[in-house]
Amino acid sequence: MERRLANLLLVLVCAINVYWIVGCSSDASVTITTTIPNPLIERVPIDVAVYYDDAMSQYIHSEDLGRYGKHTIDLRSQISVLNRIFDAMFKSVTTIQSLDGAQGRGADAVLAPSIEKFQFAIPEQTRKDYYEVWIQYRFELYGVDGSLIHSWPVTAYGKANRLNYGGMQSEKSPALREAARWALRDAAASVSFSFVRQDVVREWLQQRVAS
Amino acid sequence: MGTHRHVAFVLIAMHWVTGCVNTTIQEVREANTSLGSTESIVILSRKHKTSGETENDFVSCVSGKTGSGEDGLSVMSERDFMDELFPWFEPRTAPLNMKDLTDVISRPLISEKIRAIGVRYLVWVEGTTQRSEESGALQCTVVSGGIPACFGFLSWESGSDYEASVWDINRGINVGKVSSEASGTSIVPAIIVPIPFIARVQNQACISLAEQLKTFIRT
Repeated sequence: MERRLANLLLVLVCAINVYWIVGCSSDASVTITTTIPNPLIERVPIDVAVYYDDAMSQYIHSEDLGRYGKHTIDLRSQISVLNRIFDAMFKSVTTIQSLDGAQGRGADAVLAPSIEKFQFAIPEQTRKDYYEVWIQYRFELYGVDGSLIHSWPVTAYGKANRLNYGGMQSEKSPALREAARWALRDAAASVSFSFVRQDVVREWLQQRVAS
Repeated sequence: MGTHRHVAFVLIAMHWVTGCVNTTIQEVREANTSLGSTESIVILSRKHKTSGETENDFVSCVSGKTGSGEDGLSVMSERDFMDELFPWFEPRTAPLNMKDLTDVISRPLISEKIRAIGVRYLVWVEGTTQRSEESGALQCTVVSGGIPACFGFLSWESGSDYEASVWDINRGINVGKVSSEASGTSIVPAIIVPIPFIARVQNQACISLAEQLKTFIRT
């Protein structure tokens, strides 16, 4: 009886070791829920209306990586992240449902962010230790008359070291989620700095202040 | 019974021999330091590189050890500091040199916040722990009676190499550097069951670096 128990234990230990060493391909579906801290930035003295189209507000990235499994990343919480940074960036912010909806709302301009490209990488693909997420946004600034003032790209990057999550395949989702959280945090940081660094935007702001 | 005792003795002895870790600490001081009773430090890792990033658990370990013990310093966690000063100490935006730091803290919003949270020294940790010189082989098989068994011998060298730069926020100067190197050999002998004897070099590097940081900042 004792010998059978010992054999069973050895089989179990070996099975765990094989799983730990070899791993296996697995799907991952992650929903990103995150908030950003209160940003320490100086407000730009304008009233802004923000427009998110459906592609942006309902953004979910799905990709089949073949033998590495299917991956789904739900990025809808990016709207609350961007809203928080916009609230800190501008004198006032209102969300509008269409691009021409800013008129009569007292806004000085309309800001319309969108995602141009989303990519991610997992350690099995890259042979590195990191789960990585890249997001390329495009920000368009419109006058309240609908004319485009300026358009510029904002890139965001986040990574998570797999070694911080143990070596098990089951830790794939938390690491990927963390990489996406850092990407959203980076997006917020980049947006806050990039707005006033755009020459065209700076000139437009100066004209508004002067008038 | 006697054989079992001998085997156990040999294994324990091997653990003590191979578990040994050599540690080297170095310090370069460029200015005097002192920490007031209401002041604290923060230990941060560089996150802007795409490889060779310092492990989170190492930074947590150094923060924990530096803040513990009778001579422990007041240490703010890396995440709390980044959150308080968001978005100025993010991987993309954190100052990489003293001039950048001076520019950042010259902003009224930032200097006011740093005064409020009481952080006096920024300690930037860089470095990693890596394996090298792996050798040996270990094979597992199912022997007669359906019993799985492993035979062989694995060994590898681990090396930790970390450096901490200490910046004085109040004076806007680099006050010095403390570095910690640790190395050790891990082995896994297997006679039916593999028995790992791991040299905990990272942990030793953490303890050494934390102790040296305490001494460095206090004196």
